[in-house]
Amino acid sequence: MEIDKIIHEPTRLRIMMILAGLEQADFTFLVTTLSLTRGNLSRHIEKLESAGYLKVKKSFKDRVPNTSYQLTQKGSKALAQYWETLDAVRQSGRPG
Amino acid sequence: MSNQQNSEPQDQNAERLKEIPKWTRRYAQNRMLTIPVLMVMGVLLIMFIAVLLALPLHLTAAGFKKGNMVLGFVGFALFVAALAAVLIFLIIFISKFCRKNSGLIEQLVEQRIYGKEGAVSMPGPKIMKKNIWLGIVIGVVLYICFFGSWHLATEGYIAFKYLQPISVFYIVPWLVSEYFQRRPRIGPLFLISPALYTIHAILIVAGVPLFFTTENFCIFNILLPLIGYTFLAYVIGHVYSRYALKKLKGITHLEGEAANGD
Repeated sequence: MEIDKIIHEPTRLRIMMILAGLEQADFTFLVTTLSLTRGNLSRHIEKLESAGYLKVKKSFKDRVPNTSYQLTQKGSKALAQYWETLDAVRQSGRPG
Repeated sequence: MSNQQNSEPQDQNAERLKEIPKWTRRYAQNRMLTIPVLMVMGVLLIMFIAVLLALPLHLTAAGFKKGNMVLGFVGFALFVAALAAVLIFLIIFISKFCRKNSGLIEQLVEQRIYGKEGAVSMPGPKIMKKNIWLGIVIGVVLYICFFGSWHLATEGYIAFKYLQPISVFYIVPWLVSEYFQRRPRIGPLFLISPALYTIHAILIVAGVPLFFTTENFCIFNILLPLIGYTFLAYVIGHVYSRYALKKLKGITHLEGEAANGD
């Protein structure tokens, strides 16, 4: 039972959980909802993307570049697995 | 050991964190103010065009009736000019916002209202792969029911009072089917609209005078509650989306170092 360290980081876990409820969300939504700096969010996104948990979609909205993120199938599975592992760890840590 | 220490605060919040997708979904499903704003814009535009055309027409009619030919011709010239202006506007409007750019107005309004919050989207409807024939059949049935009952009411076969209660049998199934066709893009709050429409009908049958009794306005017995309650459902949805966003931010907000952690 090993916890996925990429997801286990609080900010990345929140990013993954937000995207789990949606088809996709853009950079502005994640920045404002998580109250992060743009640089900080970019750093976390990069890690999730390089792990293959996120898919980046670049497009133009009203002639302004827009970057959206979507959880990949691998990301969804990893997130589900993460909660299973974490719940198991929590269960095993309980007295009695 | 250190891993265990790090995970402790997260363990405490684990159950709360599991609620993030729920609140995100509720927020995304209820960001619906764009549609009521478009409805208001549409109504205002129609009213403006109506006034623009009606004023010179009224002037023309008054001029010719009173034998004032100058006033009549000036009014007519103004009417032609107004009509030309409306036509030019419609041509520009259609060329700019229809066909390839059909969603542009909606996008611009959405950007204006929710731009600062960013963009989110829900997965497409499960029943999607839109069955175009089903849409056409529903449209034709609605058309027949709506104009049929209106015609029967004006002919005296249906009392104006019962126009709206009878329409419940085709408007409510249509609104409910719209919900099922469009979910999960829209949330269950949309069902407020058919629910209120049904309550409206029950109140009328129970004797509450929530209807027009004149022939000229009888169609509004259906249109006003339909547009009004749909509008209300969207506005309630928008208010609920504010609440969902507040809840979401409450769960996801991280203080100082935790937020900047690697």
